[in-house]
Amino acid sequence: MTTPVRALYVHVPFCRTLCGYCDFYSTRFRSDRVAPLVDALLAELRRWSDARPLRFDTLFVGGGTPTTLPADELERLLAALAAFRDPAADVEFTVEANPATLTPARAAALARCGVNRVSLGAQSFEPRELRVLDRRHRPEQVAETVALCRAAGLTRLSLDLIFGVPGQTCESWARSLAAALALDPEHLSCYGLTYEEGTPLTARRDAGRLRPLDDDTEAEQYEYAMDALAAAGRPQYELSNYARPGRECRHNLRYWHNEPYLGLGPSAAGFIDEVRYKNVADTAAYVAAIRAGGSARVEEETLPPERRARETAMLELRLVAGIDRRRFAERYGADPADLFATAIARHTAAGLLEVDERGVRLTRTGRLLANRVMADFV
Amino acid sequence: MDRSKIRNFSIIAHIDHGKSTLADRLLQRSGAVSERELKAQILDDMDLERERGITIKASAVTVDMECDGETYMFNLIDTPGHVDFHYEVDRALAACDGALLVVDATQGVQAQTVANAYAAVGNNLEIIPVINKIDLPSAAPEDAALEIEHVLGISADHVQFVSAKSGVGIDDLVRAIVKHLPPPKGDPAAPLQALIFDSEYNDYRGVICYVRVMNGTLRKGQKVLLMGRQRTYLVTELGKFRPQMTPCEALAAGETGYLVASIKSLQDVTVGDTVTDALHPAAAALPGYQPPQHMVFCDFYPATGESFDALRDALQRLSLNDASFSFAPQHSEALGPGYRCGFLGLLHMDIVQERLERECGVSVVQTAPSVTYEVVLRDGTLRHVESAGDLPDMGHIEELREPLIEMQVITPADSIGNIMQLAEQRRGEYRKTEYLSPQRVLLTYEFPFNEILYDFYDKLKSITRGYGTMDYRVIGYRASDLVKLDILINGKPVDALSLICHRSKAEHRGRRFLIKLRKEIDRHQFEIRLQAAIGSKIIAAESIKPFRKDVTAKCYGGDVTRKRKLLEKQKEGKKRMKTVGSVDIPQKAFMTVLEPED
Ligand SMILES: Nc1nc2c(ncn2[C@@H]2O[C@H](COP(=O)(O)OP(=O)(O)OP(=O)(O)O)[C@@H](O)[C@H]2O)c(=O)[nH]1
Ligand code: SF4
Ligand SMILES: [Mg+2]
Repeated sequence: MTTPVRALYVHVPFCRTLCGYCDFYSTRFRSDRVAPLVDALLAELRRWSDARPLRFDTLFVGGGTPTTLPADELERLLAALAAFRDPAADVEFTVEANPATLTPARAAALARCGVNRVSLGAQSFEPRELRVLDRRHRPEQVAETVALCRAAGLTRLSLDLIFGVPGQTCESWARSLAAALALDPEHLSCYGLTYEEGTPLTARRDAGRLRPLDDDTEAEQYEYAMDALAAAGRPQYELSNYARPGRECRHNLRYWHNEPYLGLGPSAAGFIDEVRYKNVADTAAYVAAIRAGGSARVEEETLPPERRARETAMLELRLVAGIDRRRFAERYGADPADLFATAIARHTAAGLLEVDERGVRLTRTGRLLANRVMADFV
Repeated sequence: MDRSKIRNFSIIAHIDHGKSTLADRLLQRSGAVSERELKAQILDDMDLERERGITIKASAVTVDMECDGETYMFNLIDTPGHVDFHYEVDRALAACDGALLVVDATQGVQAQTVANAYAAVGNNLEIIPVINKIDLPSAAPEDAALEIEHVLGISADHVQFVSAKSGVGIDDLVRAIVKHLPPPKGDPAAPLQALIFDSEYNDYRGVICYVRVMNGTLRKGQKVLLMGRQRTYLVTELGKFRPQMTPCEALAAGETGYLVASIKSLQDVTVGDTVTDALHPAAAALPGYQPPQHMVFCDFYPATGESFDALRDALQRLSLNDASFSFAPQHSEALGPGYRCGFLGLLHMDIVQERLERECGVSVVQTAPSVTYEVVLRDGTLRHVESAGDLPDMGHIEELREPLIEMQVITPADSIGNIMQLAEQRRGEYRKTEYLSPQRVLLTYEFPFNEILYDFYDKLKSITRGYGTMDYRVIGYRASDLVKLDILINGKPVDALSLICHRSKAEHRGRRFLIKLRKEIDRHQFEIRLQAAIGSKIIAAESIKPFRKDVTAKCYGGDVTRKRKLLEKQKEGKKRMKTVGSVDIPQKAFMTVLEPED
């Protein structure tokens, strides 16, 4: 008897406008593409549910911007997903939204389908920085959207913010953090701006039309976030995530513990039966493949157990709690302190890592230099 | 076979003038390879040769050639053009009675044309000039022929005009070979004398010796003596390259072929040695060869994560195939145990390093190449030193001497000014100018070898708009005001980075080097101080600021594989580093010394 799948990710590949730094698969919203996409998502879901039991207790609809979908289509999708929730569980059901895309009608649709958590792409409260990031909303619209969510009963809120933005100062970053905290979200994600290959932002930098923020300022901003948010009762729990204790994103924790999840939609990845797969990053191709009764997968990867264990270590190191030694040993039959002895010795000596009975974790300095440490774990 | 029907010759030329392509045409005309088997430069059968489009190793081949109703046996040797492999040409020429001197009709006589032509003349060989690539629109065949006559003093009477690409002129060339190249001398009944002119290692047969029988007859099953080594072997196989190895019963005086005699290692045969009959030995050995000279040295150290043993095994394995590089254990304070290796030149060094990685899967950290210096100590003893790290204490040194080369440059006359300037920067001394034609000159200079080792050729190319070519040979040593330039990382000298240079250049060199080193070394968690020093005097300093942040912001379900691969790449990159003190220095940094000066 196959064990039920507990986690679901659905990718909605539409945005109103595309942001220069973004490397998620997304296309400009087109109304004629909505119904075929939702049909295909539901067909893919049905195919899975025919094959094995689905009993989700974490669901995450992301993108893209799911809230670009018209309210009725959004509801058609969410209601179908909601049908596979575990009735006995305390379910976390998150939808990503952007300020100004969430109308009262859409918010009501979310609430009706059991969505209980909204992740809002606020990014910054400074108009100049929003422009650098190609975000079209005005800072005030974040507060408006937050109010609208709360009015609809969507009380669990997370805000995304970006630091390391060209031209951003430590002061303007502090202002954005304060403005975010003033809205009292239970959860915040603070990302250092990344120059991903192939994005317009990176092209602008390479052409010399944009000067990246210097390393020192960015490091200072990162540390400031750790301190300010901890002081505000939302301590860091992952390299880029902060929450009131107990309000961490349970769905995302599953990624960092390298646990199975189902992924639906174009470009979505999933991890089922030790196979990591990825669907085609093209909406038309995805819809066509599903319609034809075929598979939309373009990549599949099965790792030998030791490499999988290493991958888990790399992911769990992202967590402030680090690698749980007992759990890791149960899963992979080896104590991480033995498996990674050389790397641990090296990085503890350098003050980047700490080990105790319970776990192996990055120190605060280690969090700034996480890649250096993780490279010795993969 | 009737000896008057045999022709032994080499194909020699400047690099890329079309030797291997001409060999293709001769093979094709003889019918030795079918149309189906035909591929360009068929004799360049090593992967590296095919990839780089150059010949590295000479190849001998025997074909039956029809000419005016008669059948002849051609033993031809395709030789490499690159200056590093001159010795291969010399070896090949000693096994021949004639040579085809190929000259590209669009380029005319070039530096290696001159060097190789003189080598052929020195071996008393009959030479047929072959003007190639006449199919090209920019070809100037008559000018090339005139240059050969004028510059090399080789009569243009028998010059042949061909296109090795299209095959035009090949029939006439074959006729000229038959008519003008002499058949071999020698007596098949005399005591056996066969010259080993090359050798190669084969996994199944062991060592394969390439031989040219000068006198007597070599037979399968014969007990032979290698006269230099004084070792006897039983000939288990004899044959010819056609171009596949094709066994035969005997090789008589005048013939060329191969010999297999269960010889285990290349180290057991000396190329240039004479094979004779063990029971009825010849009175004297053939003249033989000078062993190839190692011109440049560098150290190989196992890269992080590789073991010393793996490096040793790999070098031993490679040396089975290439007896022309040397290796000896070496210990560096900074890099630990490794090997000091000697090469024929920089290209040869590159090739060995690449083969280590590709064929043996061993990655190495390589130090910058150095020439050999002579050190005269205060007590009068003379020592050879191949790296700055091995220099004795300066207080014990009476005199330092550097190797000198004589260089010949062929260039358009309007570049003379540029070349003079370059020569001055490189401490060159002008010797003479000869006009090949009103537009082209042959310049002779003397240079300290270390001044031209790295980037001289690229510089020459750029200041002559690509037309300049050069050739050189070491002519001796000269006392010179040389100093040891030390590089310190966080106050600690790193032996593998130190170098020997002329005092007048030390400061500039040190400063430039640190700037480049600063770019090669990644920021660390702590500040890194870089210094250049002569003795206790610091002449330049740089620093690398510590980094603060290296963290991947986002890693969710869809990113896991990609992010993991990025980290794996970062880890791989680390493998190519060496940790000195607690500073990770990438492999490239050790070679940075080489990069252009300006
Ligand atoms: N157009 C034209 N190209 C030719 C001719 N002969 C050779 N080539 C080209 O010239 C280049 C060099 O030819 P090779 O035969 O490899 O020259 P090589 O002298 O053996 O070179 P090394 O062994 O590296 O010294 C190749 O690209 C050939 O295709 C010719 O007659 N006409
Ligand atoms: S809204 Fe989000 S998903 Fe869409 S382009 Fe911008 S960052 Fe990417
Ligand atoms: Mg060739």
